[in-house]
Amino acid sequence: MSNEVVDMITVVIDGFEVSVPKGTLVIRAAEKLGIQIPRFCDHPLLDPVGACRQCLVDIEINGRAFPKPQASCTIPVEPGMIVKTQLTSAVAKKAQEGVMEMLLINHPLDCPVCDKGGECPLQNQAMSNGQSDSRFEGTKRTFEKPIHISSQVLLDRERCVLCARCTRFSEQIASDPFITLNERGALQQVGIYEKQPFESYFSGNTVQICPVGALTGASYRFRARPFDLVSTPSACEHCASGCSLRTDVRRGKTLRRLAGDDAEVNEEWNCDKGRWAFKYVTAADRLTHPMVRNASGELQEASWPEAIAAAAAGLQKTSAAVLVGGRASVEDAYGYSKFARVTLGTNNIDFRSRISTAEERDFIASTVVRAKTTYRDIDRADSVLLVGFEPEEESPIVFLRIHKQVRKRALKVTAIASKLSIGNEKLSANFVCVAPGSEATALPSVALTAQSVILVGERACESAGLLSAIAALAEKTGAKLAWIPRRAGERGAIAAGAIGNLLPGGRPVADASARVDVAAAWGVTSIPSSLGLSSDEIIAAVNKGTIGALVVGGVDPLDGENHHEMLEALQKAFVVSLEIRPSAVTTLADVVLPVAAVTEKSGSFLDWEGRSRNFEAAVVDSLQRSDVRLLSMIADEMSKPISLSTVKAASKEFASLGNWDGAPSALSLTSVQTVSALQANEALLTSWRRLLDEGSLQQGEENLAGTARKPVVVISPKRAASIGVTDGEAVRVSNSHGAIVLPVLVEAIHDDAVWLPRNSRGSHLLATFGVASGAVVTVVKD
Amino acid sequence: MTQLTPVLSAHWDEKDSFTIAGYKRHGGYDAAAKALKMEPDAVIQLVKDSGLRGRGGAGFPTGMKWGFIPQGDNKDHYLVVNADESEPGTCKDMPLLLANPHVLIEGCIIASYAIRAKYAFIYIRGEVTHVVRRVQQAIDDAYAAGHLGKNIFGSGVDLELVLHVGAGAYICGEETALLDSLEGFRGQPRLRPPFPAIAGLYARPTVVNNVESIASVPAIIAHGAEWFSSMGTEKSKGMTLYSLSGHVTNPGQFEAPLGITLRELLEISGGVRAGHQLKFWTPGGSSTPIFTSAHLDTPLDYEGVSAAGSMLGTKALQIFDETTCIVRAVLRWTEFYKHESCGKCTPCREGTWWLVQILRDLESGKGSEADLEKLLDLCDNIMGRSFCALGDGATSPITSSINYFREEYIAHLTHGGCPLDPHAATVFASAKAGV
Amino acid sequence: MADLHNHDIEPTRPDLGLEAVSSAPVVNDGPAPMGKQLLGFWVTFRAMFKKPNTVQYPEVKEPTAERFHGRHQLNRHPDGLEKCIGCELCAWACPADAIYVEGAANTPENTMSPGERYGKVYQINYLRCVFCGLCIEACPTRALTMTNEYELADNSRESLIFEKQDLLAPLRAGMLMPPHPMYPEMNDTNYYKGDVPHAHPSQEVKND
Repeated sequence: MSNEVVDMITVVIDGFEVSVPKGTLVIRAAEKLGIQIPRFCDHPLLDPVGACRQCLVDIEINGRAFPKPQASCTIPVEPGMIVKTQLTSAVAKKAQEGVMEMLLINHPLDCPVCDKGGECPLQNQAMSNGQSDSRFEGTKRTFEKPIHISSQVLLDRERCVLCARCTRFSEQIASDPFITLNERGALQQVGIYEKQPFESYFSGNTVQICPVGALTGASYRFRARPFDLVSTPSACEHCASGCSLRTDVRRGKTLRRLAGDDAEVNEEWNCDKGRWAFKYVTAADRLTHPMVRNASGELQEASWPEAIAAAAAGLQKTSAAVLVGGRASVEDAYGYSKFARVTLGTNNIDFRSRISTAEERDFIASTVVRAKTTYRDIDRADSVLLVGFEPEEESPIVFLRIHKQVRKRALKVTAIASKLSIGNEKLSANFVCVAPGSEATALPSVALTAQSVILVGERACESAGLLSAIAALAEKTGAKLAWIPRRAGERGAIAAGAIGNLLPGGRPVADASARVDVAAAWGVTSIPSSLGLSSDEIIAAVNKGTIGALVVGGVDPLDGENHHEMLEALQKAFVVSLEIRPSAVTTLADVVLPVAAVTEKSGSFLDWEGRSRNFEAAVVDSLQRSDVRLLSMIADEMSKPISLSTVKAASKEFASLGNWDGAPSALSLTSVQTVSALQANEALLTSWRRLLDEGSLQQGEENLAGTARKPVVVISPKRAASIGVTDGEAVRVSNSHGAIVLPVLVEAIHDDAVWLPRNSRGSHLLATFGVASGAVVTVVKD
Repeated sequence: MTQLTPVLSAHWDEKDSFTIAGYKRHGGYDAAAKALKMEPDAVIQLVKDSGLRGRGGAGFPTGMKWGFIPQGDNKDHYLVVNADESEPGTCKDMPLLLANPHVLIEGCIIASYAIRAKYAFIYIRGEVTHVVRRVQQAIDDAYAAGHLGKNIFGSGVDLELVLHVGAGAYICGEETALLDSLEGFRGQPRLRPPFPAIAGLYARPTVVNNVESIASVPAIIAHGAEWFSSMGTEKSKGMTLYSLSGHVTNPGQFEAPLGITLRELLEISGGVRAGHQLKFWTPGGSSTPIFTSAHLDTPLDYEGVSAAGSMLGTKALQIFDETTCIVRAVLRWTEFYKHESCGKCTPCREGTWWLVQILRDLESGKGSEADLEKLLDLCDNIMGRSFCALGDGATSPITSSINYFREEYIAHLTHGGCPLDPHAATVFASAKAGV
Repeated sequence: MADLHNHDIEPTRPDLGLEAVSSAPVVNDGPAPMGKQLLGFWVTFRAMFKKPNTVQYPEVKEPTAERFHGRHQLNRHPDGLEKCIGCELCAWACPADAIYVEGAANTPENTMSPGERYGKVYQINYLRCVFCGLCIEACPTRALTMTNEYELADNSRESLIFEKQDLLAPLRAGMLMPPHPMYPEMNDTNYYKGDVPHAHPSQEVKND
């Protein structure tokens, strides 16, 4: 940005000179001087509209005055401009007071019952820029009080000042124009098409930017007043987009989360999952006490010293491995990484509690650790290629950022996938339709330059040879590459070395100097030199009997294809589980240690860019401890200390290690698998997780679940004709493990493919089929 | 005494004036053929020289508007004819289209040629079904005659003319709201800049003209700029249609040079209805400040009316005699504006809602003299604060009527209601009196 | 201010004090004359013949002044619905942070007050309350008022945190115990205007 030349224009506002870049609106130039012009419809990230007329000011240019006050939110600065705001112009002051009086004539006196009361721009500006009395003695316009425009957003039309922020957001930012203004005059109102509620993944932002209490969230309704809340800056734990959030807590309970303001990352937006999925923290079944399996084989509550001792004793007896999920904070992941190497003396650690391959592990060590692509690169890209990645579903802020450029300058987006998604349709993406598993074959057809950005998702590993082909393509074209995992902790886990082939800071385990580096920093004589096993290999090793104990943190067996083997392994091994809520792991574990959720601890995540996203404990009086602290206690008990008794200590030590500056490991090309011929009723399975689905972190928030996209089976028109179904009819998808019956949707999808949501209501692919993509399934009419 | 100068309305009395044959009998489409042989810029220059100003109300020079269209930009240009005539009292475009639709089509051909537009649209208000049918028939006939479509008059020029029927909204007469409506959106005014000449319909350079402006063009081409500018006053050239309505003996359209006075027009039209005197009148529809009998000799051109404190507007002269209650008339107009406010901006949306409530109270004798001040202050807060001119127009009748008839407002308060007999103002009253 | 206090005034004050004490003359004249001593008892004698002011509390309880700030009360509408809407303005106004309120939504099945919102949790901590009455002034619905009751002593801290049920006004004639529907054909504005006279038979809901 710094090398771009910006024309500066100097204007005089209320007698003060200010220089701002050309194109700056008067209202924002005034802000630079600290002069606040009241406004409602104006929003820096939305197109100007000039509807509310609250920001009227007097303007003259080179001695020529406008005959009437102008809306400062629509007029860019010009040389020689002299602006007089309400502070220096009686005309502007009267105009603003007049508009404010008119805005209030039809505004109900709801303030005592309105959720916005106390943080309401209308309330505040009526006080700062309005008159103390209204001269209105007539009848106010009335509407039916709040109507649900979706299960999570309520609309009170009486309170609406018709600023059109919500409708402009939905159209311009989210590209979900499900709400619009209708009717006219004072009866104008925000409305939905009655058959299509406001089911946008980004609807919560409209609640946040509504300058009055017209749009309110169902989950926060009447829960608190602003002065009850203690706000803490936090980061979102739901995906790798890296949104900065604000968590508002009343008496130890999180009541709401708002999008934080970070121009580099999420601008001022977030998705509904990040906003509303936090009830899992206060779920009734939350683990609160340590538990140890007693002599009769039952889990029993235990004291902390007892539980720590039991865990240490069990781990000391045999060789142990670590499975840490993709949701750990950087500090926790670092704790696991160090715990595995120092205390357990092994490199057998893997954060990939999902479908993963050896190719992916090599890709991570060779390519991801070096990737420096950022949101800014998307802003400047000449084209974006999406492979194995659905931004709207899997990293919604990346979607918003791409969409911003698509809208602003028609950024070219190419998507290689088997099914055209809603999100890619909104990005006007060039859809390269391939059969599941054949994505790599389409890569050569995409034209890329050094200004292009390739965004590859974690699902790319499900197609053999794809990741290495992409790495080679990026190398050849010079295009910027980014690997965008779905979970918030994965990029941090890589940096922390929570994977068998990497030590913290991206140091290859295979490199002796890297090992010496880390050993010296940790004050140990050596680091195990053999490459660690992957999740799948660890599970196999347990079942073979070569590994006898597992430390498992935040892993759901149903996230992988081999969950039967995993459950068997959990039964066999001595398992120490660090969890926040009961799961398939905790029920089989020998020691269960409750840990803190994100809102209860401090720490950081690395988003997909590798950018650090810090969060503070919002619920300060929580008794829960961070994983790293418990690991440190176990390590002490085992007399092989990792000395990370606090998150801060972990963070400091991790930072002091720094990044590996040696050569990264090389990546060899993996061959692409050929797909065998399909029988008439057979199809290749393809799927992804929807943003709102049955994920465990979304549990307990019914209002949010109500806006999830309805589960469907998607097949191509050709297949629909051949099996004789039309939209809405039930279709049965099955393999040797099980079957799923769902309504069908005939859409743009490869003829050989069938698509189902991976983990939605009535469609749990891994649990039912044991596979999630690329496998052959039978599709018939039910 | 100024004489009528029928040009547009010259043949309205003929039985087949609306047919292509009737139009051609008097040299119809000759002007278009002539224009297509000229250079487009020469056509623009001719219209500029004629001094033709927009007849939709604002009076912006038509030729200059055409000249704003950037040339050689390799973009589609559009001509849009604003036939959404909805101003209370205004009734000139609809009779024109009913009696002579081909003059508009011919004007469209010439104007489109001048601005290098290959598509032209006529946006007509939805309620006037009979006019819609007649214009559509005329367009079909013009296509059949080869005056529209590909290679018209064998000149190599193409023009597609589309008639679009609005859904009935006053705001769609505002040019940018009209463009939104034409594009299929709700009709609400757009932010300017960009102006339609730069980014209008489908974000392409667009000229939006009133029906009468475009319909005046063929005559200018046919008879020359000098002929046109010989009529009218110094800065308001040419002839125009004046619509007289209300308490007048022979209401209707009167085509006369700009600058004629109401006194002259009343003489031509038989005067105020028998037995009554003029009380107040609007020079250009309800959005223009009203006049009284003191303004009978005000020249009805852009400058003359403006100097007298009003606007020429659409030259819709609504005549009210002494039986009319000013408060009642103003209330009705204000109710219209409240109903037609699009709702986009606060002053117009909320202001009209409030104005109506105050005026209703005043008409029924409630309230106090302080309410008049409140009303004026409210108008001051709306005037010049709203997004488009609709809000301004809503305040005109109120401020001007309080200016001239404050006593009558107060009389409502002291009388406890309207001191006049509303029945006396109706047409039935005159019938009963046998006049 | 703090600096001034610490460095300028404090060090000099002991000096000034010592000076004052040391310079004061010590006087000891012996006992006062008899007349002067009797004069001192005059006040006592005079009081012996006055009507005593002592009230034999708790046997005798005198009425307080009409506007005495006593225990709070949460009022009801004439049909029994609660006036409190859970807006928390009282808690906001409270200088002693003695009030805790949580609002909740009225539903057709559970209508506690007219309109959208009611106070689900309402607590006043009388160990903190200073009886200033700012909460009363803040209340937009006249739900919270003060009674003249002043007997607010107890022997545990918990019992001095009054819950909603402790503060709610009793049901009077014509009132029904909420939850019950609003008066037919009336909206919340009617309630505030006082248009609801008493409970309507249709408001009686059977509790199964």
